[in-house]
Amino acid sequence: MERKELYTYLTLLLLTVFTAYFANNYHGIKIFSILILILSGIKFLLVAFNFMELKKAHPFWKVLLVSYLTIFISIVSILL
Amino acid sequence: MKSINYKSIYYPPGGILLWILIFLELITFGVALIILVAGTDGNINAYYESASHLNATYGAINTIFLLTSGFFMATSVKLFKKGNIKKADLYLKLTMMFGALFLLLKSLEYSEKIEKGFVLGYDTFFNFYWLLTGFHVIHILVGLVILLLLHFSMKKPNALVEDFEASAAFWHMCDLIWLLLFPILYLVF
Repeated sequence: MERKELYTYLTLLLLTVFTAYFANNYHGIKIFSILILILSGIKFLLVAFNFMELKKAHPFWKVLLVSYLTIFISIVSILL
Repeated sequence: MKSINYKSIYYPPGGILLWILIFLELITFGVALIILVAGTDGNINAYYESASHLNATYGAINTIFLLTSGFFMATSVKLFKKGNIKKADLYLKLTMMFGALFLLLKSLEYSEKIEKGFVLGYDTFFNFYWLLTGFHVIHILVGLVILLLLHFSMKKPNALVEDFEASAAFWHMCDLIWLLLFPILYLVF
């Protein structure tokens, strides 16, 4: 078992539990909806950087992905 | 196995063409989700009502299935690079198994929605739900076919790390898309 991948996976599961908790207990509250989006964004980056090994790539690809995610979460948060 | 210079802008892990595809997919799904959220303007209660018919537990379990599948895929790539083909193949099979479980649960969810009449055309929210999750399911199906082909080709002596990484990157892309779809469709409304 690869240790780095295992830690990433456990973190992803933990974040999924947190997301579910906030969605169940604070449903419909805008600030918590944004928090859910941010937690999902962290999961997105963990998958991209650790599972897809983007952290080994040229900074161009890293900046592009982080920029995409930041713009996406910002627009959705404003519109919610 | 020859090493790849990932630090070059032209060789991100998985290959430049696949990363161009990944960004195009992310932009397509991202824009569709933004249009969905923008459509709530003055009509958010209708979205809350429609979203309440979705089963967030199914969504959460499916998230766990895909993340587990992604974990096995990443482990399989590592093992393949180390030359441990037999173990890499085992993890590849586990990857496919969790992908299939995702599809199984999705089928159950779809059948429940159809039974209750929440079909394509029911309302704006469900139009987006069917189109976005439907396209995602097509990606999962394509991904499973790619992984199946990989399973048959990986034991050949001319099997390439690049092919393995590109297949894995496509599979992880399905995770990435789901991580955008799940919170917006199932949780925030």
